Amino acid sequence: MITEPHKRVPARGLLAWRISGTIHSVFPLLLSGVSIALAALFKWPIWVIGAALMFFSAYAYVVIKVLPTIKWKRWRYEVRENEIELKHGIFIIKRTLVPMIRVQHVDTKQGPILRKYRLATVTISTAATVHEIPALDVEEAEELRFFISQLARVADDDV
Amino acid sequence: MMMSNPKRLHPIAAVANFLKQLKELIVPFVIFVVFGSRGGNGEIIQLVITAGILIAVFIFGILSWLRYTYRLEEGELRIEYGVLIRKKRYIPLERIQSLDLSEGLLQRPFGLVKMKVETAGSSESGDAEAVLTAITRQDADLIQQAFSSAKNKSSESMGEIASGIQPRKVIYKISRGQLLLLASTSGGVGVVISAVFAFVFQFEEIIPYKKVFAGLEGFIANGVVFVSILVFIGFLIAWIIALVGSMLKYADFTLRKTEKELIITRGLLEKRQMTIPLHRIQAIQISENLVRQPFGLATVYIESAGGSLEDNESARVMVLPIVKRSRIAGLLKPHLPEYELQPGFFKAPKRALGRYVWRGVLGIMPLVLAPILFFRPWGYFSLLLLVFSLAWSYLKYKDAGWDISSLQLSLRYRGIIRTTVFMRKNRIQSLTMSESYFQKRRSLATIEAIAMSGTGGTGGRVPDLDRKEVYAIYKWYSHTGVNRNMPVNNKKRS
Repeated sequence: MITEPHKRVPARGLLAWRISGTIHSVFPLLLSGVSIALAALFKWPIWVIGAALMFFSAYAYVVIKVLPTIKWKRWRYEVRENEIELKHGIFIIKRTLVPMIRVQHVDTKQGPILRKYRLATVTISTAATVHEIPALDVEEAEELRFFISQLARVADDDV
Repeated sequence: MMMSNPKRLHPIAAVANFLKQLKELIVPFVIFVVFGSRGGNGEIIQLVITAGILIAVFIFGILSWLRYTYRLEEGELRIEYGVLIRKKRYIPLERIQSLDLSEGLLQRPFGLVKMKVETAGSSESGDAEAVLTAITRQDADLIQQAFSSAKNKSSESMGEIASGIQPRKVIYKISRGQLLLLASTSGGVGVVISAVFAFVFQFEEIIPYKKVFAGLEGFIANGVVFVSILVFIGFLIAWIIALVGSMLKYADFTLRKTEKELIITRGLLEKRQMTIPLHRIQAIQISENLVRQPFGLATVYIESAGGSLEDNESARVMVLPIVKRSRIAGLLKPHLPEYELQPGFFKAPKRALGRYVWRGVLGIMPLVLAPILFFRPWGYFSLLLLVFSLAWSYLKYKDAGWDISSLQLSLRYRGIIRTTVFMRKNRIQSLTMSESYFQKRRSLATIEAIAMSGTGGTGGRVPDLDRKEVYAIYKWYSHTGVNRNMPVNNKKRS
């Protein structure tokens, strides 16, 4: 019987996502800053400032706190001998199976934030689809890449 | 082998080159003509330049024809070409995936064919293929024979030598009536229907105008009648053009089978031949559009691996253009025995209907509300849309279905047209089940399976099936699943 995948993304991943969420909320910060400045200059009604602040804080709260937390809590993966199983999703929970023999290649990549926390994203490509494990410990990612490429032998030329 | 000496293409290839270059030059040329003229001397200069360019292009066409040679040597198709930069392209015969033959308007009078050589290679697509613009039939046959014997050698280690022309069995040949039916119920009709819809909405928008300019009512009404007649005639002409176009395209459509391939030939003015190696078939798809479905008619496609980025036509090939749905299994089963094309489907449970309806209503809501809010008296007609949406959602609900027969997954779903897709387990690239909070409450789930098609993916997604059943599909696909028996065994409905 297949069990639910149980491996989790390391806690540092959550931190990295929070940071990129913080960076993401710079734009609404600018937006609400500008509208507050305009409101002060042109004597717009006071509620504009309130609305701008509300908008920004709600956005930041969701992007920095709520979404990364749920994402981190939900993310599970498992690499078995014959297949890779992923389970993730915030509103819709997706479970995906990728048979090892269908895997064509595995990539790892790192942005500056992930690098700082020694994390990497693992991308698994089949002939038709691409799947991603968003944050793994660098060594684990390397190991995984090696492991998968060992197991993934393209059996036949005809895909 | 007879073709070890370098050979040129037929001279008509030079003309084809010339025309192709000319086609590419048209845009800059028009710009040049429009913006370049300044009267007086300018016109003469322009004329000279134009003539100069034409002659240069023509000479270039001839030169590139002179330089282009091909030959078969040491198990390779060797092509050398290039005027300024000379290039050599050697394609090992075993690496060739398919040879597509077509006869265009230029080739037909001389009894020539155009041969497209396709190799595998999704990444370097377009790079590793070659086109022999105009060669004789005999040469095409020679290359094909060399190709198929190379194939056999590599796969069966000299077991049997291909006996030249393999036996070909005709599976399907389009009749005249079917051709007419195909052409008149194809996309062209869809265009007309949507155009009529668009026109009706146009009408709605004109009506408030009428209220505002009460005096002009008569005039505008006349104008509307006039314009609508014009538009109708326009659509009629467009439809006839589409009709004639697809009749020419699909005339003489024939599906044949050799030992290891399906071969399709079609076309009246431009004859095309397509080859699908059986072992590259990834999925079979039956689609029934709204016009054809009531008559029990359907179209069958085969999705295959290979093909290049520019030319996705060779990845999704129509094998039965129009056929009675009930006949499909009988026609294809003997030739594709591993596919079960007439399974009984498990359907979405009753409790899913609400979600189908709800999704449809949510999607259509803005379109319904906007006219009601802004065009008060007549806007209420948009409620009709709601009725359509309800009917459509119901159809979607009714058509959703799945089935597993040993090593095959079949999914049926409706976007606008009803699609049934059959995938072998070992051709499915990945399988996903997903459930949202609302689905979970009703214990429903969505299944999605992706197979390969050309350089991309194809597949099916059926929302809101019974969760247990979806999980059963998931387990069936899992390679770790010890329990291979299906837990679902009751209520098999068609």
